[in-house]
Amino acid sequence: MAYDLFLGCVIPARLPYLEASSRKIFEKLGIELRDVEGFSCCPDPTGIELLDHKTWLALGARNLSLCNNNGGVISFCSGCVETLKGINHFINKDIAVKKEINRYLQKIGKVYEGKTKVKHFAEVLYENLDKVRENVVKPLTDFKVAVHYGCHYLRPSEIINWDDPFEPTTIDEIIKAIGAISLEYDMKIECCGNPVEKSDKELSLLMIGNKLKSISDVGANCVAVVCPACYQQYEFNQRELNKRNSTDYDLPIFYLSELIALAFGYKPEEIGLNFHRIKANKLFESVNFSV
Amino acid sequence: MSVINYEFRNEVLKHNASLAYCYQCSTCSGGCPVALITEGKYNPRKIIELSILGLKDKLIVQQEPNPWLCSTCQKCVELCPQKVELTEIFTLIKNRCFESGKVPEAFILQGQAVLEYGIAIPYSKSIESRREKLGLPNIKTAPIDELQTLLKETEFEKNIKRGGE
Repeated sequence: MAYDLFLGCVIPARLPYLEASSRKIFEKLGIELRDVEGFSCCPDPTGIELLDHKTWLALGARNLSLCNNNGGVISFCSGCVETLKGINHFINKDIAVKKEINRYLQKIGKVYEGKTKVKHFAEVLYENLDKVRENVVKPLTDFKVAVHYGCHYLRPSEIINWDDPFEPTTIDEIIKAIGAISLEYDMKIECCGNPVEKSDKELSLLMIGNKLKSISDVGANCVAVVCPACYQQYEFNQRELNKRNSTDYDLPIFYLSELIALAFGYKPEEIGLNFHRIKANKLFESVNFSV
Repeated sequence: MSVINYEFRNEVLKHNASLAYCYQCSTCSGGCPVALITEGKYNPRKIIELSILGLKDKLIVQQEPNPWLCSTCQKCVELCPQKVELTEIFTLIKNRCFESGKVPEAFILQGQAVLEYGIAIPYSKSIESRREKLGLPNIKTAPIDELQTLLKETEFEKNIKRGGE
């Protein structure tokens, strides 16, 4: 099976190491990802969509019009996935919307019928769970992982149409398949607070502070995320919270693809783990994970 | 004093008829993470109530409650027993705020980047060299003239150039 790859903005242009581990594990699994020329911003469902819904639809439909692989398109970013799935939802729900958007697309010689299948990379991993399991050479024994699903991987379920919106299991299953432990914690399905940062930094910090407390309380030694906005929120704010509240958070934040890559035997330097602000060395030592 | 704006109320209803189903049970606010940490100052039920009543000025000019505080977590939509599509209604309200220039600066900055580069975060030299070191391919993004044609047609360009607060 081959998929078109939609990279978006945040991962390739700010956090390319997350792209490196993601590409590597798909290669290892024998799932082809095809790069497509000419994509724009998805656009951001927590930004551009809130400014102008029809612009969001037009740009998103243009992106989808460029995809032509039979497996559809996948993205490593939950925001991009929500946007692209959302475009299909709105275009297929209302013929008037489809016509309006195609009137815009006509001006640039494009057309979109609403047929491109969209998947999150974790969906594809879950669908290939046996293959993931078969490729594990270094199980992540004693990694106590707090899975942060993030909102846009799950909701609105009518649009995302994948895992349970309040009691999700897919990523926990993947974490178990690579030999790690997935911990339950009170605030598991709550928002990281990243989208609120654009209007109120203080509120956004409160939200991530509450999540980190809930995660620390159950004794997790790392966090797994599947969205670059959530990743930044967890990784970039721990120091600031420690300064303000005299906490001592030092939790490594992994992209799901990074944990899988480690379990597949990739070296930390091959997947750019050194670019993380919060280093994982102490965790590796504490669980005797030789890298 | 708040003035009822029937035109606005009808506009919201026409855009999303689910608004009419709301019976103000407040399940949305009970599940809202921002309502929780602001102790109800941000309140999705209240935004829906103001929409039903057509109190446009309160929503768009005074912004009480401030619609930009929604975290877009979509819990309210999942929880609503009446299947009111709250976040779609909030999007319409924020779109109207944008047209009136009542929008936080960070959103405008993102819009400007998309207008200028086609992507929200342009590639810097240091990121390009980091990509190369990581063995990642060069990314060929959208032709900007094509995007700008589209953004002119949807009037996004005009609204972004006018700016925010």
